[in-house]
Parts: sequence; C-alpha cells; structure tokens
Amino acid sequence: MNGGLSTFLQILLRSLETGGVYALAALAIIIVLRTSSVAHFAQGTMSMFSTYVVATLCAKRGWPLLQSLCVGVLAAVAMAFFVDFFIIRRAKKATAVGKEIITLGLIMVFLGLAPMVFGVDPLLMPKAIPRGGDFKFLGASLSHNALLNISIGLLFMSLLFFILQKTKIGLAVRVTASNEPIARLMGVSTRNITLLAWIVAGILGLLSGVMIAPATTVSTVLMNPVQLNALFACVLGGFQTFYGPVVGAYIIGIGRNLLMYYVSSEWGEQILYVLLLAFLLIRPNGLIGRRFVKKV
Amino acid sequence: MKNFELTKLGVQSVQQPDLVKASNPLYRFYKNANVRFIFFGALLCLIPYLKDLGILNSGMIITLGGAIIYAIAALGLNLLLGYAGLVSLGVAGFIGLGAYVTAYFTNDLSITFWIAALSSIILATLIGLLVGLVSLRVSGLYLAISTLCVSEILLKTFESFDMITGGMTGKRASYPTFFAAALTREGTFILLVILLVLMMMLTRNLIKGSFGRALHAMRGSEVAAQAMGVNLLKYRLLAFALSTAYAALAGALYVVFIRSAYPTTWTITLSLNILAVVVIGGFRSIYGTVLGSLIVFVVPDLLLKKLPVIGEIPGLAYIFSGVMIVIVIMFYPAGLIKLFSDARDLALRPFSRKNKERKAVS
Repeated sequence: MNGGLSTFLQILLRSLETGGVYALAALAIIIVLRTSSVAHFAQGTMSMFSTYVVATLCAKRGWPLLQSLCVGVLAAVAMAFFVDFFIIRRAKKATAVGKEIITLGLIMVFLGLAPMVFGVDPLLMPKAIPRGGDFKFLGASLSHNALLNISIGLLFMSLLFFILQKTKIGLAVRVTASNEPIARLMGVSTRNITLLAWIVAGILGLLSGVMIAPATTVSTVLMNPVQLNALFACVLGGFQTFYGPVVGAYIIGIGRNLLMYYVSSEWGEQILYVLLLAFLLIRPNGLIGRRFVKKV
Repeated sequence: MKNFELTKLGVQSVQQPDLVKASNPLYRFYKNANVRFIFFGALLCLIPYLKDLGILNSGMIITLGGAIIYAIAALGLNLLLGYAGLVSLGVAGFIGLGAYVTAYFTNDLSITFWIAALSSIILATLIGLLVGLVSLRVSGLYLAISTLCVSEILLKTFESFDMITGGMTGKRASYPTFFAAALTREGTFILLVILLVLMMMLTRNLIKGSFGRALHAMRGSEVAAQAMGVNLLKYRLLAFALSTAYAALAGALYVVFIRSAYPTTWTITLSLNILAVVVIGGFRSIYGTVLGSLIVFVVPDLLLKKLPVIGEIPGLAYIFSGVMIVIVIMFYPAGLIKLFSDARDLALRPFSRKNKERKAVS
C-alpha cells in the first residue's frame, strides 16, 4: 500500500512539472486572447521556433544555457513584436475569425521556416541542472531539474499575477481585457498593452518550450501537445479569468499523468480529451467561467 | 438622363432586366449555373488526355487529382467557414476517417466502393454531430478547439488501431469499380471530377435554399436572425455536419485514387492547408474553392519546386500557403477569385467611362 502511495505521490509531483509547462503556455494564450481578442493558435509554433534558437545555440555552438536563453528571449520578443506590430495591428478590418485564421497561417509560416533556418535534424536540449541529485519526499523522488522547473514556473506565474493585480500596468491590462474601447477612452494606451501582452506571451512560450524540451528532442512538433493541452486548459478553466486556465492546466497535467499510469499508457491522453469534451456538456463555460451574456 | 443623374449620385449601375436576352433559351442555357458547372467538369475531364499528348506526366495527374479531392473537402469547409463563420481544425481527421473506413470496407470486407463511401460519410457525420452538439453551444472558438482535439484522437486511433487502419505501415486500397468495371487511374480521375461537379451543384443548391438564407441572415446579424426564427444552433450544427460529410467523401475518394493511406497524412498541417484553400480561393465562392485548391496543392508541387535556389527549401509549400493566408486576409479578403472580376473591371474601365460621357452628351 505504501508503495502505491509513493507511486501516486511520484506521479503527482511529476504532474506539477508538466502542469506548470501547460500553465505557462495557457497563460500566454489567455493574455493575448483577453487583450487583443485574438485566439493565438500559433503560440505553440512560435514557442517552438524560439526554443529552436536556444537549442541551436546550446547544441551546435556550445553556448551555456543561460546565455542562449537570453538570446532566445530576444528572439521571442522580436517575433512577438513583428507579429503584433506588422500583422495583427494592420489587420484592423479583419474579423475575430479573420485574425484567428491569420494566426493559423502563421503556424504554417513558422512551421515552414523552422527546418529552413535550423535544419531538419532534431536537436537535444540540455537540462538546466544536468547531473543534479534527486529530491526525496515520502518515498517519491523528483530530480532537482524538475524542482527548478516547477519553481521557475510558479515564480513567473506569481510575478505575473502580482503585476496584474497590484501595479498600474496590470490594471491597464485588466481594463483592456474587460473592455477595449472604453479602456482607450480612459486614456489607456491599448496598443502598447496589446503589444506587451504579445511579448509576454512570447517569453512565457519560450520558457515552456525550454522546460519541456529536455524530455524529448527539439523538432517542429515539439510544442504540439503543449499547445493542445494549453488550449484545453483554457476551455477547462474558462476564458473569462486569467487564473482559470492556470488551474485548468494543472488539472490537465495531473489528470493526464494519472490516466496514463493507471488506465492506459497508450490511450490515456485520448481518454482525457474525451472526458474534457464530456465536461463541456456539463459546464460549457469552464470551471471558473461565467456565462457570457451578449447584448444587442 | 435619369440614368446619368443616378451615376452622379454614386449609384453605380442600375441594372435593367434585359428581357430580350432573358427570353432567349440559348442565353438562359449559357447562364445556367448547373450547366456551367458541367462545362467546367468537362474541361477538367480533358486532363487525363493531356497525359496521352505528353504534356503532363502521371505524377502531375496524381497531384491534380489530389487537388480535386481536397477541393471537395474545402467546399464543405467553405460552407462552415464562409457562411457560418466557424473554424474547424479537424478536417484532416475526418478525411482520414473516410479514407480508412472506405479502405476497410472495400479491401477487407469486399463491399463495393459506393456503399463503403456512403457508410464512411454517415459515420463521420454522426461523429461530427456529436462534437458539434458538445462544442457549438458556447462560441465558435470552442468548435475550433474541440475539432483540433477530435482530430488528435482520430490520428491516434489511426496510428494505434492497426487491426483496421494498418497502423504506421499504412492501409492499401484499389481503384473503385463502376458497374462491375474496374476503373483505371484515368477513369478514377474522371470519377473525381464528376463527384466534384456534383458537390459544386449541391453546394450551390444548399446556398440558394432556406439553409443558405438562414446562414446569410446569421452572418448579417445573429440577433436579427434569431428574431426571425432562425435557430442558430441548428443551422451551425447542420453546417458543421455537412462539412464533415464532405470531408469523409473526400477521404473515401482519396483512398481509392491514391490507393494507400498513412497516418502521417492526416495531421493538422493538412487541415491548415484546406483552411488555406478556402481563405485563398475566396469565402463563399464555389469556383474560388477549386481555384484555391489548385493554388495550395498544385502550385507548390508543379511550380515552386522547379524554381532555382528557393525550390530546394524543405518547408517552402507551408511558407507559401501561410504567407498567402496572411496576405489575403489582410489585403484581399474576398479571395483570389475576385482577381478575375477585378481584372475584368480594370480592363473594361475605359469603355465604361466612354459610355458615361456619351450618355452625358446626349
């Protein structure tokens, strides 16, 4: 029984890591969605691209991880700036669906660019703590690297929520999210806020990419499961709040690992997706979502 | 004189019913949309003969056939995206479903192609209805995410359920039979064209009927449409179910034309390519969809790959489609089919101005 408990605890701790990665990606999606009302489907692909930058510098040039990460952040910021400033902002006439389609087009652009810029071979991403020991807790163990990932994820999220709730910029973001035209009338520079949201999303995406990359190899499909789970985290948590998707992401991370261990390693993820679809039937607006009333 | 004043006021053209032309049966025949579809199909049927003349090789025939198949799926997506304004990211999954069910029925159970295709369409539509019922109650974004997830589930099924799908080694099928006569590749190509023309006619009739009018009303104003008694959920669901049915038919045709199916085909990139077909060709345009399909699936294969230097780039086709999507949405939202009418207007502009001046003088 004790062995069963420690296995369970082990899965739970591991899930905190994957859940954290999903939470970062989900937060990126929801920040962009709320401020610029664009469903950012290219989030995962753009993170894949910036993660490739880091991996290329690490694996091919032999740079230390921290320096490559700095360059990766610069690349992520540049991409986010480019996409918002030159594409989304210029596409004023496009409807919400039109902008959604633009991000879908961006997926193809970055998917096509990646092998061109970085080559077709998958790369290996080093861990932040390559040969660290394990952290033991009630028979369950967690590598120091995973612990670092969990803490960095939590740190970034708490920083972000602190900024959102307690600072002037955070207030501006929340105002823009709740009503963009009124925020503009009140003197909030919504353009800059939107740009900031895209940039923050880019950095969050890069972080999630760098965290998940050592577990597999860096290739063009690196972020596909993360993006899918992050989108589902948004659905599960509801699109109305910033913290809903984060809660959803941790639930998905834990649920996925539990299902994969206890039910079926092959079909666990699919069972989770079916359960999520069924959940939509019961609570269409998500766990924390409110009903969206449309006015004429 | 009255006409002149109207043009001065900005009323562009006051079209008067041309009774002489309208009473001419030949003119009516020429203007009939269905007749035009058939003419269009007849032109496409000439393609296999171009191979005999040595202009095209058989690889090009396969590429063109693929474009026709994907055009059928894109017609369905255009109903959903163009008219109902909903994005589906699961088209590839449903095409794959149609392909595998048809392949299993014709190859393993030796059922004729037509019944196999019909059952694959029914199965896909049922799944589509279920997914639509779950996700369409909230907002359009939920459909996009749910279809993305369904296509992942389907893809996983194609990979793992190898008893029926053949798994990663792929599934084989053979050319269909038509009244006990086994078709060749060229015959199958003509079958594809016939079904494309039929689907074009069906799409046009759907749009001209009450279904299309309801979708038009919803596009104008959801609230107004509701007030007039249009049930939003019902018509959205219908549009989505139709789009899955089109996709399944495309899959059934794919597997008998290409004669094999691999899980790597039915990924999100195919769904995005079909979305690109609709966007690039033109929302709510039937010919535009076919044009878009040719641009997305034929141009990269036949033209871009032959270019020096940049033709070598592995992801060129994706970049091409992606950039086209962004450019068309930003600068030319009616799609490239509008190039034809724009070009005509541009060419006819000097004449129409002369006309106006002549009228002004008189």
